[in-house]
Amino acid sequence: MKDSVKSIATLLPSPRLLPNESEADFQSSLQGLLSEFETPSPLNVALVIQLNECLWWIKRHTVDKELLLHDSMAGILTRSAEFPQSYDNRRVSMALEGFLSGNAGEEDEQWIEELLKRAELTVSDLRARGFKGAYKHIKMADDLIHRQYQTMRHLQKSIDSVDFKSRLIKRMDLELAVLENNALAIDAKSP
Amino acid sequence: MPSHPKTLTNRRNAQRSTGPTSTEGKLASSQNSRKHGLNIEIDLESSCAYVSLKSLLIKEGYSSFVAADIAACLLNYRRVMDAYYEAYFRSIPVNESIWNMDLEGLPLVLGEISKGTAADSSSIARLFGRLQRNERRQGGPVSRRTLSCHKLIRYQRHAISRLSKVIRFA
Repeated sequence: MKDSVKSIATLLPSPRLLPNESEADFQSSLQGLLSEFETPSPLNVALVIQLNECLWWIKRHTVDKELLLHDSMAGILTRSAEFPQSYDNRRVSMALEGFLSGNAGEEDEQWIEELLKRAELTVSDLRARGFKGAYKHIKMADDLIHRQYQTMRHLQKSIDSVDFKSRLIKRMDLELAVLENNALAIDAKSP
Repeated sequence: MPSHPKTLTNRRNAQRSTGPTSTEGKLASSQNSRKHGLNIEIDLESSCAYVSLKSLLIKEGYSSFVAADIAACLLNYRRVMDAYYEAYFRSIPVNESIWNMDLEGLPLVLGEISKGTAADSSSIARLFGRLQRNERRQGGPVSRRTLSCHKLIRYQRHAISRLSKVIRFA
């Protein structure tokens, strides 16, 4: 299996990872997918690499979707607090991130609660408004995720087709061998 | 016939600047509006990867014609995905200075610097206002990269459906 991976990896440009992503994680996920095959052909390996890349894109876009929502929520809080709006509402964004995940310091927690009070919003209200504000971009992220799923479906069908063909060829080889054996047996029997 | 002196001057000036004249200049300016390069016709068949991939597929039992198609479609798909990565990783950065610019105090500052008329200062301030609105409309870095990738969806759809068709009907 490793030979097929190596041979295809040298021929096809491999998927690129972001600077904060681990190559080892990508490889282990790839090996997990490849372990489903007994003896994958180079074409199967190439298709599985693309499929693995799609999985990674889905992960990235899902994280982005949540970030878009948080950005929008932070923007609403910033505006309600009448701070000068900075480009990513950095301070509010960081405090809100901590607040939502439950890791915020006491000071940040009080600050966000104060901002929510001033804006006369609960967390779920803020989330709903944030979603409304970032709807356009969240929908785009959804489209991107959906596209990756569609691509995976295409790749899966292609992999099945390659696999089916190779099994068909093997079966035909076996049937041919049986026919040849039978023909030899008939030859041997004939006087 | 244009009679307005400004129109005549514009036409005269346009005659003087007709773009790059050297081959290098023309080559450079042809890339001016290039966004992702996926609409450019490229010759995949002369690349080493194509030749090696094709011969590998022929060894796998595919006919020469089918192997050539699969190799070309695979390389094309990779090309689209590389452009997708570039669009994600290198989306237009946020211009913080324009985003955070204080527009309320701007006419006063401009008036002091330029010593021009109040109308001049307010028209410059309006220009900056428009720039700021444009900048903010595009959103933060996450919105920008989402938008850049979204523009490439149709290329990905086209590339994968071609690849899948070639493999399934081989």
